[in-house]
Amino acid sequence: MTRSRACVVALVAAVLIAAAAPAAAQSPAAPVGQITWAVHVTLAPTWFDPAETSGIVTPFMVLYALHDALIKPMPGNAMTSSLAQSWTMSKDGLTYEFVLRKGVKFHNGDVMTAEDVKFSFERYRGASSTDLKAKVARVDVIDPYRVRFTLKRPWPDFMTFYATPATGAAWIVPKKYVEKVGEDGFKKAPVGAGPYRFVSFRPGVELVLEAFDGYWRKTPSVKTLVFRVIPDESTRLAALKRGEVDIAYSITGPLAEELKRTPGLKLTPTYFTFTVWVMFTEQWDPKSPWHDRRVRLAANLAIDRQGINQAAYLGYSKPSYSFVPQGMEYFWPPPPYPYDPKRARQLLAEAGYPNGLDAGDLSAEAIYGAAIGEPVVNYLQAAGIRLKLRLLERVGFYQELGEKKLRPVVQNGSGAAGNAPTRIEVNAVTGGRYAYGAYPDIDGLFSEQANEMNPRVRRQLLDKIQQMIHERVMFAPVIEPAFLNGVGPRPAVNGLGLVANHPYSAPYEDLTLKPRP
Amino acid sequence: MKRFILKRLGYAVLSLLLLSLTIFLFVRLTGDPAVLLVEPGASKADLAAIHAQLGLDRSIWVQYGQFMSSLVRGDLGHSFYYRTPVLELYLSRLPYSLLLAVAAMAFSLLVGIPSGILAAVHVNRWWDSAGKIFALLGLSLPSFWVGLVMILFFSVYLGWLPSSGSGTALHIVMPAFALGWYFAAAHMRLTRSSMLEVLGSEYVKLARLKGLPEARVIGKHAFKNALIPVLTLAGINLVIMVNVAIVVETVFAWPGVGRLLAEGIAFRDFPVVQATVLIGGAMIVVVNFFVDILYAVIDPRIRYER
Repeated sequence: MTRSRACVVALVAAVLIAAAAPAAAQSPAAPVGQITWAVHVTLAPTWFDPAETSGIVTPFMVLYALHDALIKPMPGNAMTSSLAQSWTMSKDGLTYEFVLRKGVKFHNGDVMTAEDVKFSFERYRGASSTDLKAKVARVDVIDPYRVRFTLKRPWPDFMTFYATPATGAAWIVPKKYVEKVGEDGFKKAPVGAGPYRFVSFRPGVELVLEAFDGYWRKTPSVKTLVFRVIPDESTRLAALKRGEVDIAYSITGPLAEELKRTPGLKLTPTYFTFTVWVMFTEQWDPKSPWHDRRVRLAANLAIDRQGINQAAYLGYSKPSYSFVPQGMEYFWPPPPYPYDPKRARQLLAEAGYPNGLDAGDLSAEAIYGAAIGEPVVNYLQAAGIRLKLRLLERVGFYQELGEKKLRPVVQNGSGAAGNAPTRIEVNAVTGGRYAYGAYPDIDGLFSEQANEMNPRVRRQLLDKIQQMIHERVMFAPVIEPAFLNGVGPRPAVNGLGLVANHPYSAPYEDLTLKPRP
Repeated sequence: MKRFILKRLGYAVLSLLLLSLTIFLFVRLTGDPAVLLVEPGASKADLAAIHAQLGLDRSIWVQYGQFMSSLVRGDLGHSFYYRTPVLELYLSRLPYSLLLAVAAMAFSLLVGIPSGILAAVHVNRWWDSAGKIFALLGLSLPSFWVGLVMILFFSVYLGWLPSSGSGTALHIVMPAFALGWYFAAAHMRLTRSSMLEVLGSEYVKLARLKGLPEARVIGKHAFKNALIPVLTLAGINLVIMVNVAIVVETVFAWPGVGRLLAEGIAFRDFPVVQATVLIGGAMIVVVNFFVDILYAVIDPRIRYER
């Protein structure tokens, strides 16, 4: 009996060991293979350095691979603790303390400590650095794994600025290495704490990265990442069709349709905090027709947003009724404007324009002006608002917009990260860079929310502000354009759309390739 | 002769000085580069910080003085976009441009010159008509269109050639054809007209009267003389191919100087635009300088006339 039981136990054990053996051999699999992207923009060495982050989302395409942040957006959570194990805010809202993850190594073997965090913050000189540093009184290293930020006064948006792509201040670089190689040296051979380490960069050609097996979260599955710069979108699509690249960013219009039709390729839209809207810059001038709310409302009802979406983005974009993107914190969802040209004409007649009105120019930046501004002008024209589209080159457009020279109707757009108040501050309150005017009650509520530390109360204030903007028809929001990409047959997990409000593949350590047939 | 060379050298230096001032001022009329380096809506403080970082907060004449003093030391400045020395950037792209330009030039000469000769020798006949059609197509079809059609046919449809990039001999085939296509037509037209002029000259008539074989009349007596203007044009075209093959380099993602210039213009990267235009201008000035001297050596009347 004992002997037979021993035999059974031995047999079961043998079976279990045999079953477990392949799994054990597979689990710590070394990274293999390569994923190649066809990138639509010219890669710049400034993107290898978080200190240079300029407020646009594009550098994060590289930062997510080379570097890591204390807190950063990850799948399912816009503020995921990454290099910080945890963080706390004091009750008075004046101090933020971050406890760092232990044993995190940079690509050169240096261990990350609180000194690196303090150094990275102080070295940061990118977007909003002036504002951010003006509000932080000091950064103290409590111990090697604990760092404390003390603010001059409570600031409800500290984490929005520090821990989201609004800035790159929370992305950590190795202090000793930067001091050793200098600023130029760091851009030539960047070292970070991200899942991929730098291999080579040929300006205008490609960036090559290799999996870092010491990455704290996990060892990446794909060994090599290659970002090839292909500025022409037809060529990007050709490269994808030929299998020269696995993912092609930014394929638009008829080429996107062709991509959709091509067997083996997949059209994958992604989204970020990008909205396009129309501004009525003369609404504060009683002599202007745009002073009349009915005219502004007529313009909103005259635009077929879904039609524009279908024509320009194959239906993948999101019709927009607020200039604050839907994915932003504190977004208030406004009631949609129906497409109702008949009602629009009625409103114009009620406002004293039964035969429509010659409304002057609609100024727009050339690229989105052609894609979105042109149909907008056509829809307005059909309803009796006769505007002439005036396309301006990007630099000239934003310069004139900043100097408040564009009148009476302007198509604006922004993909800046942040939250609803940061978007409102620029466009809808006194002193805003692109605000041609403002309303005192909205200004008052805005000042109030800026000092409100209670998120619930702050949300109520921001909801109220957005409601007032909507009721006064300050803008004609049009669309949140999708970023259309092509994906080839090889990637199993391509990372597109995993991180909310991030248009590129991420997190790179989660990418996988399909097994070879 | 020494005085002539010194005079030409003086003109060359003056041309470059004028070019440096012109490009320095004109590039600054194109707008504020800081606007493109930040997300629209950036604060005035952010824009001011970028102006200070890039040295754009100083007066324009201080900036020009610094640019010229750096230039004298061989420093063309730092790129606003890449944040690396412009000379380093330019030199990293130059080999690609030279390779492309030489390949495209070889193609354009190998196609353009023989077809020009054939058209001239068989004037108003089939060869001439075919040459005229070729020249018309070459000069009128835009190179980006030729490039895209080639990518579709040879790369996507047939799968013979890589669609873009650089690195192997196969990568250069399509860009060289797309770039050389226009110049082949230009060289064909010039060869044809130059050959027609020479074939009608007295000494060619004399050679024929002497009973020389037609191949020798064309090959030795006519072709050699007809080639001079073609080669002069080819020299200037080579400089153009190296520096401003913007469209072809963009379509084929070829990392040359032309694309660097296009990026510089798009990003308002003043140092890159200044350097690329100045170096391109310097190449033309140097080529012209040596051509002037060669002319003067060949024909002494030139140095006395000037």
